[in-house]
Amino acid sequence: MIIPKDSLYIMAKEVAREHRKVKWFQLHRLLKRKMAVLSFLILVLTLLAAVFAPWIAPYPGQGQGEVNIEHRLQPPSVAYVLGTDIYGRDILSRVMFGARISLLGGVVIVFFAALIGIPIGLWAGYNEGISGIVISRVVELFLSVPSTLIAMGISILVGAGWQTAIIALIFPWWPWYTRLVQGEVLSIKQTLYVEAAQMLGYGRLYIIFRHLLPNIMTPVMVMILLDLGPAIIAIGLLSFIGLGTQPPTADWGLMVWEGAPNILSEWWISIVPGCVMFMVVIAFNIFGDTLKDILDSNG
Amino acid sequence: MTKKKVSNSMFLFVCKRCVGLIALLIALSTLVFFFTRSLPGDVAALYIGGNAKPEQIERARIELGLDKPLFVQYKKYMGKLLQADIGVSMRTHRPVFKDLIEKALMSFELVVWALFIATFFGVFLGVIAAYLKGSLLDEAIKWFTSAAVSIPIFFLALLLQLFFFNYLRWFPLQGRMDSFLEFSNPIQHITGFSMIDTLISGNLKAFFNVAWHMVLPVTALFVAPLGTIARLTRSSLLDVMEQDYIAAARASGISERVLFFYYGLRNALSPVLTVIGLSVAFILLSTFYVEMIFNWPGIGYYSLVAITSLDYTALMGVVLMIGTVFVIANTMMDILRRIIDPRIK
Amino acid sequence: MNHIVLNKELKIAPARQPVLQVRNLTVGFNMARGQAKILEGVSFDLFQKEILALVGETGSGKSVTVKSILNLIPERSRETRGQVWFDAKDLLSMPDKKLQTIRGKQISMVFQNPKSSINPIFTLGEQIFRLIRLYLSPDIDALKLKMHCSRNQAVETIAKEKLNEVGLTDIQRMLKLYSGEVSGGMAQRYRIALSLLSSPEILIADEATSALDVTVQAHILKLMKDLCENKQTAILFITHDLSIAAQICDRVAVMYAGRIVEIAKTKTIFKKPLHPYTIGLLNAVPMLGKNKPLSFIPGMIPDLVNPPLGCRFHDRCDHAMDICRKQKPESLTLEDNHEVSCFLYK
Repeated sequence: MIIPKDSLYIMAKEVAREHRKVKWFQLHRLLKRKMAVLSFLILVLTLLAAVFAPWIAPYPGQGQGEVNIEHRLQPPSVAYVLGTDIYGRDILSRVMFGARISLLGGVVIVFFAALIGIPIGLWAGYNEGISGIVISRVVELFLSVPSTLIAMGISILVGAGWQTAIIALIFPWWPWYTRLVQGEVLSIKQTLYVEAAQMLGYGRLYIIFRHLLPNIMTPVMVMILLDLGPAIIAIGLLSFIGLGTQPPTADWGLMVWEGAPNILSEWWISIVPGCVMFMVVIAFNIFGDTLKDILDSNG
Repeated sequence: MTKKKVSNSMFLFVCKRCVGLIALLIALSTLVFFFTRSLPGDVAALYIGGNAKPEQIERARIELGLDKPLFVQYKKYMGKLLQADIGVSMRTHRPVFKDLIEKALMSFELVVWALFIATFFGVFLGVIAAYLKGSLLDEAIKWFTSAAVSIPIFFLALLLQLFFFNYLRWFPLQGRMDSFLEFSNPIQHITGFSMIDTLISGNLKAFFNVAWHMVLPVTALFVAPLGTIARLTRSSLLDVMEQDYIAAARASGISERVLFFYYGLRNALSPVLTVIGLSVAFILLSTFYVEMIFNWPGIGYYSLVAITSLDYTALMGVVLMIGTVFVIANTMMDILRRIIDPRIK
Repeated sequence: MNHIVLNKELKIAPARQPVLQVRNLTVGFNMARGQAKILEGVSFDLFQKEILALVGETGSGKSVTVKSILNLIPERSRETRGQVWFDAKDLLSMPDKKLQTIRGKQISMVFQNPKSSINPIFTLGEQIFRLIRLYLSPDIDALKLKMHCSRNQAVETIAKEKLNEVGLTDIQRMLKLYSGEVSGGMAQRYRIALSLLSSPEILIADEATSALDVTVQAHILKLMKDLCENKQTAILFITHDLSIAAQICDRVAVMYAGRIVEIAKTKTIFKKPLHPYTIGLLNAVPMLGKNKPLSFIPGMIPDLVNPPLGCRFHDRCDHAMDICRKQKPESLTLEDNHEVSCFLYK
């Protein structure tokens, strides 16, 4: 069949238009994904810096607290890429060492909070009886006092230090997971009731782990990922007021505090660790958000 | 006729919540009591301070009632609490309650402003982002809120100082008022709220000066809650608009605008109110840091000093106060939520 | 529209006037991997006072069809072509503002989940009052004058009357309830009352009974049939269940993968189905007493992003011919207004 040139042209334009339309949507997605990829890179970089700090930091000794008075308060230069602090210590090295506490702490807090909170939540959600009510009340009590306050209190009692701070933060952290899981289980129970009835004869634990758990995993995973940022900030908050990491150990929050008196003149001492903290937390947030978007459209 | 049933169950609801509130407060005070009795260090020695002789310390201990059995101490403590007597500060030897109220009013100015701005603009941005879902503005708002939520408060405060004072010279560095003005135009202490006091007494110079000093600290305080509220409003709104009842209302001929701004918003407001309640506590705790950095003589400043000097009575007072504010704020939010959404039991 | 000139035909003609005419409705959804052609060339008429069933399995596009009539699907990423004639106007090219005046008043809709279709934070009373104020202003005024009462009282009187019509009792108490506090059957009666407030020309029932118990289903079906006869409302009844269609519908239109494959009177469809898909559907209904093995139609509905070029059913059809793969069958009208789109019939 001979197709006149005009028709071909029109057909081609239509195909191009269709194509462009589809591309516009994909572009949107790509942009989002790009930011997610960037965030992921930042996180990986931070992790590597933290793990290999003793070997790749330019001044590992200073990173751990060695003092270097002659070079104190130096602005960023070739020798000290991010400047030096009030004791002359290289800020880049200290940031790398600080990453160890922040990242480790964040992961530990969220991990244990989830480890404690999720099973309790599962149990409370599944048994709507007395244990469920008791657990709800306890959770409410914990959540009715601001979390940082509880952690501060524990730090004061036991004595400050980065280990104390991290463990102290687990206490106010786990009830959030219990509440989330309990809520999810309650709403899923409505839909799974028919199945549960058919599963008479299977033990409670079996139902909980085999059927409830997988269904709640999605929001829980998202919450865990999005929780790492706030956990890191919380550690920083405690260190900033002296209830967390103690000098001379490097910690981002502590470094910001050390540099605060000199903020107007030697701004890099506070701003650099603060910026790093900011970027890492944003990276976690963006990554978590993207994951949530993906899971939402599929789930 | 419909109203009577509502107000009856409303009344019950409010009663239940108030009872819960009191129960929580009692639990809270008890916890605080045990906390302060477990503090490290010898409290009596701290009280006397410096080179105290053993007899003086003993006398102090008796004076503070620390020699009596725990249960007796507890009874005395609760009794005094009911009379609003939290005891005397270890550091300043002044009644804690009076100090607290003074400082609290100073802080509350910042807190109230921050809360209003965070709520108002947070909901505003969230509504816009939901209405223009998928657009460039929506994406921009999402970025902004992500950043707002991620920035540590102490960093933000320092950044603001650096930027707006050091580089731009737009706002002052610290303090509540320029010191020379404190002498020439002192603020009359009427309500304790400097902005209200200066307005009432016609002290306009001081009014503008204080307002000018408040900008940076309030900004540091409202950024994070604004982000959270905006995100939540947006997602809650979008969630609601997907619901069956909105589709049914659309099919009944209700205009898109009414659907979104009236039905959508009202149905979506419940979780937002919860978050606003939580933001109160967040902002309160943030004042610890913001006041320290901006040298604002409020409760945050007071608390930090109390922490470092292990002034346990002052600490007690602070924790009780923050806990009380928190519980009251949440209860109020619960009641508000009930008004909007009668499903809540 | 046809102008009937002959006197004696004037009596029958008005009853056979189509109150809704869907012509060539084609809808595509833009997705990440391409455009899903959900509907393709859907055409049918809905006549006054008749009950037309739109039958098809999940994914056949029946919901999309009716939602497109009233433009209820959010604008983004959707492309619609074709016409929907109502009251001498094309609904598809109408601006939304004008459509709002039609929705609920001249064409109204009842949905599948009655309880979730009611706004949970307002009482049932509040919601029906609001709609009455929206639609029935002149009636309210008239009632005010007649009974010398306040506006609110007039509204409430009208509400009680309308709720009574759908068979609800204890209305005074019901007005104060919330959606979570009523049963599915009550909720659906309530929704039907809402949709019939202004005596619309067309009522669209989108799987209106699918979420209800079987006994309640029967009541609701009867209710709809009676009410619509009284108010002269045409019903467009969407369902995936042929037996429900058989109970109250005058005609049945069968849809598959976005196209209408057969339209005929109910009796005809059941006695003399023509399209292979319809035949398959009827065979798939298990029947008591007969020792017939359960039959089903093998295969799945085609991928709508890349639908087959010819007849969309050909890869599941027992009688598929060569031409079925290449060309789309046109709709043929056989005797007694029996329409079918299949190359088996010429």
